[in-house]
Amino acid sequence: MQTDLSHYKEILIKGIWRENPVAYQVLGICSALAVTVKMSTAVVMSIALTLVAAFSSLIISSLRRWIPSNIRIIVELTVIASLVIITDQILKAFLYDISKQLSIFVGLIITNCIILGRAEAFAMANNPADSFVDGVANGLGYSMILLAVAFLRELLGSGQFFGFPVIPGFLYDMGFQDMGIMVLAPGAFFIIGLLVWLKNSLPGISHEKK
Amino acid sequence: MSDKKKSFKNSRIYVVMFALGTALVFGVLITSAATMLKERQLENMALDKKTNLLEAAGLVPEDKKTTPEEIKQIYDTHIREVHVDSRGRVIENPTGSSLQLYLIHTDQKVQGYIVPISTRGLWGKIHGYMAFEQDGETVAGFSIYSHSETPGLGGEIESNWFLENFEGKKILNANNQLVSVGIAKGKVENLPDKLQDHYVDGISGATLTGRYLSEGLEETLTKYEPVSIIFRQKEESQAHVETILDE
Repeated sequence: MQTDLSHYKEILIKGIWRENPVAYQVLGICSALAVTVKMSTAVVMSIALTLVAAFSSLIISSLRRWIPSNIRIIVELTVIASLVIITDQILKAFLYDISKQLSIFVGLIITNCIILGRAEAFAMANNPADSFVDGVANGLGYSMILLAVAFLRELLGSGQFFGFPVIPGFLYDMGFQDMGIMVLAPGAFFIIGLLVWLKNSLPGISHEKK
Repeated sequence: MSDKKKSFKNSRIYVVMFALGTALVFGVLITSAATMLKERQLENMALDKKTNLLEAAGLVPEDKKTTPEEIKQIYDTHIREVHVDSRGRVIENPTGSSLQLYLIHTDQKVQGYIVPISTRGLWGKIHGYMAFEQDGETVAGFSIYSHSETPGLGGEIESNWFLENFEGKKILNANNQLVSVGIAKGKVENLPDKLQDHYVDGISGATLTGRYLSEGLEETLTKYEPVSIIFRQKEESQAHVETILDE
């Protein structure tokens, strides 16, 4: 039991931090640029992606012995696409306003390299429980970066946090201005680049030393 | 080829059967999810449409959250959907060329009307509603309920500061000619005085979205001009439209 738990912990740490999908593998950048203008969309996107990553890994791993290898990518995509469509339908039924804001980005989870990457690299070779944990871990790893980027972009770009103004008025009076570039795609590039640099320069985890 | 199971797994018949099976299972899953949730989604869409109409008309209380029941109730007491022919006369049954609009009324008195706006944007269609006062030239409010503009840039068209810009703008110039409402490049205060009534502040980084929206507004308002003319001829219009409300 003890070994089991530490085994899952190992997978979790690897997915969330050591081999973080965005900061280490540099996957899923496209959506990290698109939905990080505001915190609220980033949060819903994170939850949706984590759920899809976890359950697609679970399903694909359970089917892995029966999936013919020459159509495996198609089967993986079918599983992922179905889950994404169902997620989208649920959002439209229960969180209509947010689903309107996310619009096409939920659909674009299908093309997110993290999900297909985990299905291909992990779920096809490991048991369902491990794969589920791996999906959750990678989803959380992605979410962590997404939320960090969204926090900085919303704060610096619009002076807000979850839509509430947080920059005190006197700073604006003193000449502080919202940084327009943070709202644009280049802002996300700079922040993600800085985060990748930060992560890889922290002691003990640089992949160059491995 | 010694592994028998492996070669069977890649045999043509197995691959086809597996693909069909997967397609069937996930097809059923998606279909059942979509069917089961459809009613809720349609309800959400209908409610969203009503909320947007009320927002354009300025009938949604701003200081508190409204429940779906309140929206429906305000909608039923104040908004009436009508169809008019190309001369601006209300007709009973919509035809191919008739225009659809919404009347805002309180106690059998018409307060104004709402025109549905549907125009091209940078990435896709922009849909919204523009409400007018009963003088037929002053914009009472504007709302957008669906667009696919870039979030943070063109997507700003759905933010409050931009939409509130439209309130009080005139679609007629000093010579009573239709000039529509345009989206300025930059701030309105930099424009000549006589244009300030017909332009709203633009969004920086969204010049194209603004241009398409301006074009779309002009086109739609030109189409609805007969209706606006009726509203500008005060008494006659009041009598005419109020007969419909009596039903």
